[in-house]
Amino acid sequence: MPQQRFPKVEILSIAPHAISFVLSETDTSMANTLRRIMIAEVPTLAVDLVEYSENSSVLNDEYVAHRLGLIPIRYTPEGSMKGGDCHQAFLPHRECVCFDRCPRCCVEFELDVNFDKVNPTRPDQERDLPLTVTSRDLVCRPPMDVGMSLNATYTRQMQISNNILVAPAHFLNEEEQDESHDEGISIVKLGPGQHMKLKAIARMGISKEHAKWCPVAVATYRFWPVITINEEACNMLTLEQKQELVEACPDRILELDEITGNLVAVENAFEMATFTEDLKVAQDAMKKRPEDDDFVHVVQSTDRFVFSVESTGAMDAEDILLSSLRVLKDRLNYLAAEVEKMKD
Amino acid sequence: MNTPERSSAFILDDDEEKIEYAADTKVSNAGTFTFNKEDHTVGNLLRMQLLRDPAVKFAGYMHPHPLVHKIHLKIQTSTSQVAPAETLSAAIEDLSNETDHLITQVTDAIDKWKKENTDMMGM
Repeated sequence: MPQQRFPKVEILSIAPHAISFVLSETDTSMANTLRRIMIAEVPTLAVDLVEYSENSSVLNDEYVAHRLGLIPIRYTPEGSMKGGDCHQAFLPHRECVCFDRCPRCCVEFELDVNFDKVNPTRPDQERDLPLTVTSRDLVCRPPMDVGMSLNATYTRQMQISNNILVAPAHFLNEEEQDESHDEGISIVKLGPGQHMKLKAIARMGISKEHAKWCPVAVATYRFWPVITINEEACNMLTLEQKQELVEACPDRILELDEITGNLVAVENAFEMATFTEDLKVAQDAMKKRPEDDDFVHVVQSTDRFVFSVESTGAMDAEDILLSSLRVLKDRLNYLAAEVEKMKD
Repeated sequence: MNTPERSSAFILDDDEEKIEYAADTKVSNAGTFTFNKEDHTVGNLLRMQLLRDPAVKFAGYMHPHPLVHKIHLKIQTSTSQVAPAETLSAAIEDLSNETDHLITQVTDAIDKWKKENTDMMGM
């Protein structure tokens, strides 16, 4: 179709928990839409319902339930090493046809920590100190004894490995794990005589409903800086003046070429450029007349964006990007069908 | 007690349609589409794409109230041959194709980066 754009993507770096890329030849509206979808509409898993058997800890039920909800939960597809998108394996609870809960829409975790039972097994120096209940204690069990419900045979057969493949994302990466004092995300601390026993049910949802379902810690984009250096005007500057311009900019986006003595933009200027007013002020001071051309002109690009996406650990960063594109595509298809329906 | 469900920001009510249309009575070839349970994510995207269409004389969107989850998208075409709904369909189709293009671009770019960077590690 005539007015389609053909954007380009160039990846700058990929780590499991972060991705940085350049999106070009498209409009800010597309960049902003992708950003908004990554923050608000990518489906993930998070604890949504907590059933308590015992809670004699110092934090009350709702407090602990709130903390459990914020723990990022990671789904690893069967036979894969890395974490994946949960939308293929799970249904949102409201769309599921089951009576109450089933392995297709929910994942059950159990947590049972009793200070008095664990204490004797601890090493001597830690004994009798407060015991931290962490996300490691959240254990996933396939649904057993659901024979109480109407479709008992069905649920027994549905003890899919879905449940074994889901686990809290305890740490973002190895470094964090090495630096931490705990084994995982700390939930509550228990003292002598305190016991916490609960069942946590995780469901799929989007961040628009509650921020616990947000897969990203940060999803932002900056504009690519377009740096134009006016060679003629620069030739009229002395070396000291050029050095002054290089130092005027706090981001250091300019440098002096050693051989020719000309002002050139630094190679990674796009990463550094944030604030260029100082440069402008320094140039205005050097100009003979205020209406002269600028020596160096920096402006934001209207069609090139540098994205930076950091995950919470629930999904890999590249999966978040792909998932957001899929969500956008599904949304557009849905709207296209609705417009067709309305035309009739 | 009065708080609406958070999910009412994106789940359609029972009696709501996703898109409603009202032709403009005072201006020719114009009409306002109301998208229920949508926000700037889709509104800005559609509006900017519509502005690229030469048949579109006016395209603008607004989110009337932050607590009411709907957007109005007003489109006026330059000729009566082209209906606003058609320009909207064309815009959605262009965006859908652009998204498909982006998906292939992103998957290719990721594969390329992985190939280049695992080669360096010599694994």
